[in-house]
Amino acid sequence: MLETIAQYAFNGLVFGANYALIGIGLTLIFGVMNLANFAHGQFYMLGGFLAYMLVVKLGVNYFAALPLAVLAVAALGWLLERTVFIRLRDRSPMTGVLATIGLAILLESGALLTWGPQPESIPNPLSPMPIEIGPLFITPMRLFVLGVTVVFLLGLYAFMNHTRTGTAMRATFQNRDAAALVGVDIDRLYAVTFALGAGLAALAGVLLGSLFLVHPTMGDSATLKAFIVVILGGLGSVIGSAVGGLILGMAESFGTMVSSAWKDAIGFILVIVILLYRPDGLFRR
Amino acid sequence: MASSGADRGKARLVVALGAAAVVAVPLVIGGYHLHLLIMAAIFAILAASLGLVIGYAGLLSLGHVAFFGIGAYTSALLFLKFGISMWWGLLAAAALSSVMAFLLGALILRVRGNRFVIVTVAFAEIMRLIAHNWVDLTRGQMGLPGILPPKIAFLGIDFNDKASFYYLVVVIAFLCIWMLSRIARSPLGWGFLAVRENETLGESVGVSAYRHAMAVFVVGAFFAGIAGSLYAHYINFIAPDLFYFSYTTILLVMVVMGGLGTIAGPVIGALVFTLVPEYLRVASEYRLVFFGAILIVGILFVPRGLIELWERALRALPARVRELMARG
Repeated sequence: MLETIAQYAFNGLVFGANYALIGIGLTLIFGVMNLANFAHGQFYMLGGFLAYMLVVKLGVNYFAALPLAVLAVAALGWLLERTVFIRLRDRSPMTGVLATIGLAILLESGALLTWGPQPESIPNPLSPMPIEIGPLFITPMRLFVLGVTVVFLLGLYAFMNHTRTGTAMRATFQNRDAAALVGVDIDRLYAVTFALGAGLAALAGVLLGSLFLVHPTMGDSATLKAFIVVILGGLGSVIGSAVGGLILGMAESFGTMVSSAWKDAIGFILVIVILLYRPDGLFRR
Repeated sequence: MASSGADRGKARLVVALGAAAVVAVPLVIGGYHLHLLIMAAIFAILAASLGLVIGYAGLLSLGHVAFFGIGAYTSALLFLKFGISMWWGLLAAAALSSVMAFLLGALILRVRGNRFVIVTVAFAEIMRLIAHNWVDLTRGQMGLPGILPPKIAFLGIDFNDKASFYYLVVVIAFLCIWMLSRIARSPLGWGFLAVRENETLGESVGVSAYRHAMAVFVVGAFFAGIAGSLYAHYINFIAPDLFYFSYTTILLVMVVMGGLGTIAGPVIGALVFTLVPEYLRVASEYRLVFFGAILIVGILFVPRGLIELWERALRALPARVRELMARG
């Protein structure tokens, strides 16, 4: 019994860390640009598919394909901010949201046309045999995914607190006009933030896509999960998203012990409870 | 304004001609074309009600499709389990959709903005999960077949016939859209604008933003429920994919590109974006790409939608043509 619980907890940790990655990307974009990005899950999907294309069609080594896919999606995010979202900056927040919805449906249906509806797996060179660690049986790939995610989360924390760009982001979270007044280059910051957010989503897409499968419609549920994470943690709070991601991952993992059909409803129930008792989320920004 | 009498006469003529055309349609066309018009009318109710919520009150509800689905399931289950016809099913659908909107509104309408947007998406997804997983009631993914249209026994009318259903849906759609535009122009409708434009100012002159937001949300759901009931009894079959986000996207294109802040705009949007993709032979797999692209391009370059496009087209015409058109 204890082994089972430990196994579920480990799975929850792997998922939770990845939900945190997606959620932090979303909350950065939200906090800096005041934009609820409904195309976030599609960046996650694109990351997975680009890695699949690189490995399977072009024969690139998995460990090279991972950063390449992430960088490509980040570049796409940068480009989209420069061409589309920059024009919507001074319009009502609703227009920005509508544009991301258009983008989401464009990317998803474009992916369906390009890659077809069937799920694909990203091959990786690690052994599929589980290794025994204490009470746990863990495949090397899961360990790799968890390791990369944790390294990135810690790196992000350092980036936000110890670099000029990170500090500028936090300043813009608090007060955009004041940040611009003290010399933050808002144009550059917006583009960097959108690229970073898209890249984090893509990273999660490659990592989870390596454990399971990638398919063109996986973005929708990822967007919803990311929003759940962000509402749990508090809109615009980076720490909150990390914690919210872990809570959601754990809750879903243990939820499958009870009922796998209703697993996806757990996040929504959490959101309703949070909205009833702590409407600003666990961590206020 | 010497010509206002003549203008009014002209307007009456246009309305009369329009009405005659609507009545004559089933005599001229049938089959698939009639089917498209029926779908366009159902979407017109749905888009007009969402237009009130988004365009007037500024509440970006992405869960409108859930109220459509709730309406469809309510009406379908009443018919299939208890043999209750669409006449009562329609009212029950509208009522239950409104109640659900009230409950959801009580949870999220006190704090609006981005959190509202996100929770409405989540709400539609919860409803989809229920329709999908509560197999005993909804048959899950297999869906509910055999939802028949109503009859008027003593007149011998059976709406199973496509032309009859067309007349029925046109009458109901007309009534719904008329009521929605009356609401939009009533003092209640001005209150909705206050929610959108300046909450603080509105509150200071006694407009409760929360109550007006709640009112518009419930009214919107009421009409979405009616549309759902009509859909279920027309198509005869419903399944959980009614709740898919892709329907929300299509609705948003109709509302936003039709023209925000009007009721006529979303109605025109519903007609255009139901009919045009069909007649342009946009194959179904390209349709969503098309809608996604239209939404982005439209927001960027024609924020007031088809109305703005129309005005620009007029302005682009040579002066002489415009003069001729003005003389009529």
